Amino acid sequence: MRKILIATALTSLMGTTAMAETIGATIARFDDNFLTVMRNGMVEHAEAIDGVTIQVEDAADDVAKQLDQINNFIASGVDAIIVNPVDTSATQAMSDAAEAAGVPLVYINRQPVNLDTLPDNQAMVASNEVESGTLSAIEACKLLRAAGLGVVGAKGYIIMGQLSNQAAIQRTKDVDDVVGMDMCNFITIVDRQTSEWSRDKAQDLMANWISSGEDFDVVFANNDESAIGSIQAMKAAGISMEDVVVVGVDATQDALVAMQAGELDATVFQDAFGQGSGSVDAALALSRGEDVPRKVWIPFKLVTPANMGDFLDKN
Amino acid sequence: MADSTEGIGGLKYDKTKRAWPNELNIFFALIAIVLIFEALGQILPYMNGQSMLFDFNTKRDGTILNIARLKIIILQVSIIGIIALGVTQVIISGGIDLSSGPLVGAAAMIVMSFAQTELVNGNPNPKAVFGDWAFDLPVIVPVIVGLSFGAFIGAINGSLIAYTRIPPFIATLGMFLICRGIAQWWTRGQPVSFPTEGYAWLGSGMMPVVWFLMLAVLFHFVLRHTVYGKHTYAIGSNEDAARMSGINVQRHKILVYMIASMLAAFAAIVLSSKNLTAQTGMGQFYELFAIAMAVIGGVSLTGGRGSVVGTVLGAMVFGVIQSGFTYIRLDAFYQLMAMGTIIISAVVLDQWRQKTGKSRS
Repeated sequence: MRKILIATALTSLMGTTAMAETIGATIARFDDNFLTVMRNGMVEHAEAIDGVTIQVEDAADDVAKQLDQINNFIASGVDAIIVNPVDTSATQAMSDAAEAAGVPLVYINRQPVNLDTLPDNQAMVASNEVESGTLSAIEACKLLRAAGLGVVGAKGYIIMGQLSNQAAIQRTKDVDDVVGMDMCNFITIVDRQTSEWSRDKAQDLMANWISSGEDFDVVFANNDESAIGSIQAMKAAGISMEDVVVVGVDATQDALVAMQAGELDATVFQDAFGQGSGSVDAALALSRGEDVPRKVWIPFKLVTPANMGDFLDKN
Repeated sequence: MADSTEGIGGLKYDKTKRAWPNELNIFFALIAIVLIFEALGQILPYMNGQSMLFDFNTKRDGTILNIARLKIIILQVSIIGIIALGVTQVIISGGIDLSSGPLVGAAAMIVMSFAQTELVNGNPNPKAVFGDWAFDLPVIVPVIVGLSFGAFIGAINGSLIAYTRIPPFIATLGMFLICRGIAQWWTRGQPVSFPTEGYAWLGSGMMPVVWFLMLAVLFHFVLRHTVYGKHTYAIGSNEDAARMSGINVQRHKILVYMIASMLAAFAAIVLSSKNLTAQTGMGQFYELFAIAMAVIGGVSLTGGRGSVVGTVLGAMVFGVIQSGFTYIRLDAFYQLMAMGTIIISAVVLDQWRQKTGKSRS
């Protein structure tokens, strides 16, 4: 009896490995809006493909936990692993673990520190952060010039995301680079503070800035939630949203609604869903031994009131 | 027990000691912090002599006071302040509540899904959680749902602590994880946005401050002048003595945790209304900041000592520091370090003052 049971168990096990492909994915955090859209992109895309199952774990912003999850995936024999790294500088150990076990690995959304030395069966699917902050900052600069501030000068604030995050640092640097260009150097940055990506903290931050009495013309937010928070604080203080240029990044639904209301001037669409589905495709291709470029770029797109209709149902 | 002259469990206070109440010290500390920031405003070259609380030159608000600054100082601590009112009671009763932050996240998600409006800018609500029946409900519905959820979680916390005798730290730590899980599970991590106008009113403008101060006055009265308050202090001072003197300690503890969780749930309502959105990560570190506000306000972690007035002042200390950092444009990288240092120093000073105060009597 026991033999029969073991035999059935073995055949069923072999059956699943022969027919189906399993992907293990670990996401930096489940409570992040953007990463949730990305995660849904992964899951929906994987479930739509016959014979592919995907298991998604929450690393809860814990580097050590994420490495454990990867090792657990390896131990349970997945065909490929997708990693949305908690910390982009902690990816070497993850690459090593997957390489030693011969399991393909795909990094998603965040650029691993060891990108240039990834083994052949590892890749990255992401959008190029340099594009995002630059696109929105240049749009802000154009709007300010169009309003005639190019001659008299303009003052602005930067609302930064979490300071431990590469995207926040890059997007802030993008703003600095744009403001440093000849075309846009009429903009002076008065102050920069972090809202940790949060709408609530951005509201308080903006209210504090308003209380200093300094006039300003532009707000560069590292993400849309922070842009919306600053808009709410400005509206509460009776500042007309026609007088201030506010730009964000992400093109979330809430942000597009603010844009419809004429409050948000520009944002940048990062294709979270496309990154999610792209990572599944890359993982499957690698597990079948196909060639995948080391860097798979999913492009950013500038969203303004003129083209926002195209993005309303995207994020 | 040192604070009481006679009676049971610290029910009566020595009138002579109340001549110099603890709250006055916190008030002085608050003023000292303001003065430090004002001084920095004069010293730091890039500040151009700008003042933090005053506006002598431009008089934008029609007075010499910087009204906008005064408003934001209290507005930004009001929501955590509401939680701190509950935490104060829990700590006075000798317990601790770590679950309030995640409870805010979970309650906000649940409440907001009953507060959604049908049309956004004339389009269907893109973030709808339920079907048509849940749109444009009267504002009382989400409020009752939220408070009931809070009461439910608080009842579990309180029952675990009262009947299984597991330490409050562990019980509420477990609930911390459960609530964060509920917040994420509710919509699978998707934020819930676009509330009705009625719901949006609850947290609009200075409403968070109104709620905070109203609840502070209410619970100041409750703790000082009702049987509930006296029993809370008695249990925190000496649980065995309280039990022997006939207080139903178990039932009372459940009540304290229920009230604390309902206050946290109410904070979630105000928070989600203020932001017009509910997100699973909301309320992060709120439990720790609420505890810190109470402790800075003189609430003793060993139980039996503290007051609502102290906690409100403790919250104000936080507000002044937060605004002060932005006012002097302190680099974001240094803010957490400075905040931590200030919290520790405040408590060390308080401990030191308590010791010298006791030896004096």
